[in-house]
Amino acid sequence: MTASLATQPVIAKLPPGPRAHLLSPVTQAALRIQNGIAVASREYLAAHGYLELQPPVIGPVTDPGVRGAKQIDVDFYGHKYKLMTSVILYKQASLLAFEKIFYLAPNVRLEPLETAATGRHLVEFHQLDVEARGASREQILEELQGLLRHVVEHVVREASTDLAALGRDPEVFAPLLHRDFERMSHREAVARLQSLLHRQSPDAEIDWAGEKLISERTDRPFFIVDYPKGSRGFTDGESRVEPGVLRNFDLIAPAGFGELASGGEREYEYRRLVERMRETGENPAKYAWYLEVAKEGLPASAGFGLGLERLTRYLAGLDAVWQATAYPKLPGIAAP
Amino acid sequence: MAGHCLPQTARDRGTVTAIRAPHLPESAIRARARDGTAAIFPDVEGYGHTLFGGVPAAEPTADELDLAQVVPPVFVPRRLEKLCELGREPLHGDVDLTTSIGGFAAPLPVFLCAFGSTRVAGSGLGLAASEQAGRLGIPMVIGENVVPMHGYGRSGDGPADGLLGRILAYADTAPTGLGGVVVQQSTEDADAEVWNLVYSDPSATALLDSGRLAFELKVGQGAKPGLGGMTVLSRPAAAAVSEQYAVDEAFGPQATMVLRSSSPGTFTGEILRQQVHLMRNNFPRARIWVKLHPGRDVRLAAEVAWNAGADAVTVDGAEGGTGWAPSVFLNNVGLPLAECLRRIGKHDADLLVSGRIWEGSRALKCLAMGASAVGLGRAALVAVNEDAADGLVRLVRCLELELRLLLSALGKYHLLDLDAADLWFPGLPSPDQRGRKHDES
Repeated sequence: MTASLATQPVIAKLPPGPRAHLLSPVTQAALRIQNGIAVASREYLAAHGYLELQPPVIGPVTDPGVRGAKQIDVDFYGHKYKLMTSVILYKQASLLAFEKIFYLAPNVRLEPLETAATGRHLVEFHQLDVEARGASREQILEELQGLLRHVVEHVVREASTDLAALGRDPEVFAPLLHRDFERMSHREAVARLQSLLHRQSPDAEIDWAGEKLISERTDRPFFIVDYPKGSRGFTDGESRVEPGVLRNFDLIAPAGFGELASGGEREYEYRRLVERMRETGENPAKYAWYLEVAKEGLPASAGFGLGLERLTRYLAGLDAVWQATAYPKLPGIAAP
Repeated sequence: MAGHCLPQTARDRGTVTAIRAPHLPESAIRARARDGTAAIFPDVEGYGHTLFGGVPAAEPTADELDLAQVVPPVFVPRRLEKLCELGREPLHGDVDLTTSIGGFAAPLPVFLCAFGSTRVAGSGLGLAASEQAGRLGIPMVIGENVVPMHGYGRSGDGPADGLLGRILAYADTAPTGLGGVVVQQSTEDADAEVWNLVYSDPSATALLDSGRLAFELKVGQGAKPGLGGMTVLSRPAAAAVSEQYAVDEAFGPQATMVLRSSSPGTFTGEILRQQVHLMRNNFPRARIWVKLHPGRDVRLAAEVAWNAGADAVTVDGAEGGTGWAPSVFLNNVGLPLAECLRRIGKHDADLLVSGRIWEGSRALKCLAMGASAVGLGRAALVAVNEDAADGLVRLVRCLELELRLLLSALGKYHLLDLDAADLWFPGLPSPDQRGRKHDES
């Protein structure tokens, strides 16, 4: 999947030291492509009425719905604060002030060590975090498809030299640009995996190997919708008509690149939030500020978080996501 | 390896604190911890001179499991099977006690219960117990709030008997392929992200890679059913955790000590089901255990947990618990273990029980009533307190020998063959009279 540069071995399991990494033409091309993604995203979102806010970096709580990862504690004048694993709680609250917002937000997650070799996990990474008041999941899926097409058009147009240097054929994006992204339910994805003799729990998220398996069989990104409750955190909204089913989604890239984004409609009513917190093993007292806001009314919303480095990896056709960041930090590996 | 230093550390510390267990036969437990299997027999010095016989209980007991008798039959068809298999008469040494406990292989149906954060469990005893449980290859549960109270132990942020110290002490001595470590978490402990911490820690990699790590969701406990954890802390220690826990001046405004309470956490069937689902989702490489208090709906709760995918359900009888609890709860609240076992009945799922277990007959009675394994709590602490180097090992060896003798007497050589017909409860009709099959049929 990765093309080679004549002078630089591209396939590498682990990052080299900072000098070699920064001097690598692969890194440089990837970061220029990443810059194009940021420029094009801002362009698209501004044109669609979104306001960019600056993301909070620490808070008393952060995103609770992160599979197996550990949060980083910060001593805030004697109070235990967290580095953001995602800004979801702040995204919802910010809709009190504005109708449509986005952040380009840094996240830090101490991922389990087993993720170091997946090629798609970084401890420190960035998300394009988008949220729209009153939006439905379907509207936000349209928005995400539109955004991705705009970004790809921009990158293909503006970064053609870098794509060529990386051996990435712009033609691979033709299906993405011209055909709607497929939508399959979690249940359908499980059935598809089981038919491929992959053991996938119907109650859990699609595991990484499974995601790769489905993604290898497609030519454009696709959505998996309707995850079961018990596979995600409390902010993912539960269907009012189909209890146990979440009004959420993942966006999966084709050709084995895997998950790019997660999102959906949010839980926003106080009572439902409290119940969902307990169902996800959370202590509501920890979320005091957020619940206080919810008690007086949080707007209904939908949105998503799109991984900037993962999208870069996909567009640039890189082997590993660490190639799409200047200072890669992999699970369990101390690095600058 | 660090582990070679730990027993010595533990021994030094363990002798400092004397602990008392007034509701257990403490001197008998200490004798076993000190003298090993010699202590399960009458004094050998008296052999040939003394006439022995059953000793009436010193005081009447209300504990149904204590009252029950193990009742070997005269006819033993399973011994005939074993005789054919071996080509000689079977003995107690031929009893197979190996089993699986909540997804872990174990040499006998015994595990080490959590000690929690009480001071009794600190002072190096937890560490000594971990090292010995490892040596025995029996699964070990590490208490819910060891991390919030004792620290994790990484980067020198806590004493040696923090969570990491206990995991390392266990892992360094455990035989390959046997046992496992179970890390508990309850509602408030979620703040400390204990599971996430362990799951992403290099120290736990070996356990994860060998499938020997489990997480236990603590729904309740035996000593105080319906309440959360309680410990007594000095005022400065309480101040340090006051953001997470309720702190009361239960002992008066002038007292130097205060009461620290956790919430019991709110559970419904849906909450328990989804919490188990999320644990399985978030920690796919860990086993999932659920610990219940002896509630009146314990069967329903156990079934919810099993159906949601829990590898084991642990039930602590009302007579259990190492911790500190209001007297009104110790004496009046919760189902006794025998009634829990009766309500849950035999299931095709792992049911682990604890509550005043220290010797073989109580263990066997629980197994015959449907438990898959029994947990040692207070008795293990007393044993380690008696001898920090080998006390628990000796106590377990005693229990092991008694189990072998009892099973052999019943003419059974596999744990799964035990059933209610092996017990007689005074005042209750025997299983035969209730229309059960005869053993020899």
